[in-house]
Amino acid sequence: MEKVLLGVEALTFLEKEGFPVLKAGLANDPDKAASVASALGFPVALKISSPDVIHKTEEGGVRVFLTREEEVRQTFQDLVKGFRLHSPGKRLDGVMVQHMGTGLELIVGSLMDPQFGPVLLFGLGGIFAEAMKDVSFRLIPIEPRDAREMIEDLRSSQVLTNPRGARIDLTAIEQFLLQVSRLIVEHGEIQEMDLNPVFASSRGTEICDARIKIDQA
Amino acid sequence: MTNQQLQHLFSPESVAVIGASNSFDKLGYHVMKSLAGNYRGKIIPVNPKGEKVWGIDSYPSLKEVPERVDLAVIVVPAALVAETVHTCGQKGVKGIVLITAGFKEIEDAQGEVREHELRAVADSYGIPVIGPNTFGYVNLTLGINASFTSEFLHIQKGGVALISQSGGMCHLCGFLAIDQRVAMSKLMSLGNRCNVDFPEMLKYLVEADEATKVIALYIEGLDKPRDLMETAASLRGKKPIVAYKAGRSEKGDSASRFHTGSLAGDHEIWTGALKQAGMLQVESAEELLDTAKALDACVLPLGPRVAVLSGQAGPGMVASDALEPAGLQLARFTPATQEKINSLLPPIAIRTNPVDMGPAWYNPKAMLEILQAAVKDESTDGVIFLAMYASANLKLAEELEKYMKDLEPFPKPVVACFTAPPNIWDESVRRLDRKKGMVILATPERCAKAMSNLWKARLLWGGER
Repeated sequence: MEKVLLGVEALTFLEKEGFPVLKAGLANDPDKAASVASALGFPVALKISSPDVIHKTEEGGVRVFLTREEEVRQTFQDLVKGFRLHSPGKRLDGVMVQHMGTGLELIVGSLMDPQFGPVLLFGLGGIFAEAMKDVSFRLIPIEPRDAREMIEDLRSSQVLTNPRGARIDLTAIEQFLLQVSRLIVEHGEIQEMDLNPVFASSRGTEICDARIKIDQA
Repeated sequence: MTNQQLQHLFSPESVAVIGASNSFDKLGYHVMKSLAGNYRGKIIPVNPKGEKVWGIDSYPSLKEVPERVDLAVIVVPAALVAETVHTCGQKGVKGIVLITAGFKEIEDAQGEVREHELRAVADSYGIPVIGPNTFGYVNLTLGINASFTSEFLHIQKGGVALISQSGGMCHLCGFLAIDQRVAMSKLMSLGNRCNVDFPEMLKYLVEADEATKVIALYIEGLDKPRDLMETAASLRGKKPIVAYKAGRSEKGDSASRFHTGSLAGDHEIWTGALKQAGMLQVESAEELLDTAKALDACVLPLGPRVAVLSGQAGPGMVASDALEPAGLQLARFTPATQEKINSLLPPIAIRTNPVDMGPAWYNPKAMLEILQAAVKDESTDGVIFLAMYASANLKLAEELEKYMKDLEPFPKPVVACFTAPPNIWDESVRRLDRKKGMVILATPERCAKAMSNLWKARLLWGGER
């Protein structure tokens, strides 16, 4: 049996495993969304939470940079209305309210390769990974040297290392990669995982969104 | 498989050719051709007719051979192989080269069955088997050609061991090696890898084969690639391992709903895994040979700063162009070096790096002094040294050879390209190549690539990290 953890569920699991995640809560009505947003601190993002939607952005299920409670209430209603209209029949768990992340977007992932077994992926988020296919791989488990080289291997690694760009805590990224490697070693049931995006900045790394495929043998 | 067992396999004092033949259309003929007149040990042809093969008395079966047999080269039909290996086991044969094809590589399911049976028999006697489905092996160090292609003995004796998953790529690389003066210790195709696979070969070549200085691998695909990676990682830094992995076409799983799955192409994972295991990945047969040859001949650079010295401006320019994309940079000479170069060249060409040595055409000694100054300069890590033939510099290679005779080996890598029409510089180039820490390659661009790989090798194996 296979199960996919998405959104809040995936983030809760990762937080329990000691990963830095962007704070989030699930809301089922506009007032709850507004109170969660206040508790988290503005600005926030709202995201449709449905077990039937894997790519939320593509389906119009994400709104970002909301700065006031009233805006959160209104946006909640818009999102749910849009979802009901465009995705009839899909299940809706609620709307995830999440503190806005800042920094450079990274993608970190894992998969089970039929020959190699567990493999770790690292790349810059957005078009770097998807359009440019600028990602690096290592076999799990990795060592500190591998974590450093995964960053250096990217054709666009200067986006991370150039001192004239945004200051990025590279050590935190290396530690993060090592932590993901350990997670996969300890949780053999994880078949595939996307941590995407992960925000990297001078303050470290934070997972913004995740999906995890689990083999429930 | 132990190093000791492989040592026996590659250094036999007697070789039986089972299926030896006098007919040109039998592989047993060609294996005899490779051995007869070349191999210094005892050659024992085995042929059911019991006639003389290649002028050597044969035996109708291995059982009837009175003396010890160290290595058996088997070229009998696939259906007879298991029985033949069994006989080898009883005879106390220490190693087998199994040229016969028709095992798991064929579509017929019978092939898989035969392979299984073969492996069981070989393992029950603990005999290492190269193959099946191989052209054989060549041990150039000892002058043993246990293959069906006799011309491999024209390869110079040296430090590069080429281990291939393909016989065809061994033929390509072996013949290029003759032409391009790559000096080898061993050359072999592992074929179907019955019980001698990449990991045990790596371990043997690194730990027990003194003649091998550099290992070049050609890989198509493995069932258990982690075994190779783990072995290579455990040997990291002991001897350079260069790998050419074929099979770029396999893409990630486009049906995967995960980004990771859709991005994870087989080749991309191999690239990461090879680096992780400390192997230097190359992208073509010529790069594999150039890199292995340079690693065999040169010291590793301590940094990426390169001096380019060229007898003509153009080749220097293209070599310089190739540096930066390859992770290298043009060095900036110290004032003392620049002064020295200026004293050796009139100001009628560019004397800063890349140096146009054109004005020194008639003065090979000056070119050599420029080379020495560039090597000595503390702001360089390696030198690319280029000269194309022109009628006016006819004596260049010969004179360089003369002046270099008494030099100490260069303490930094010197990667050179001396190109002339056939038969003009050949003899001198042959004697200059791979001597004194200088390697001679075919084009300026390939020199830059090889220099880049020497630097990558330093980062992989010699760095302080």
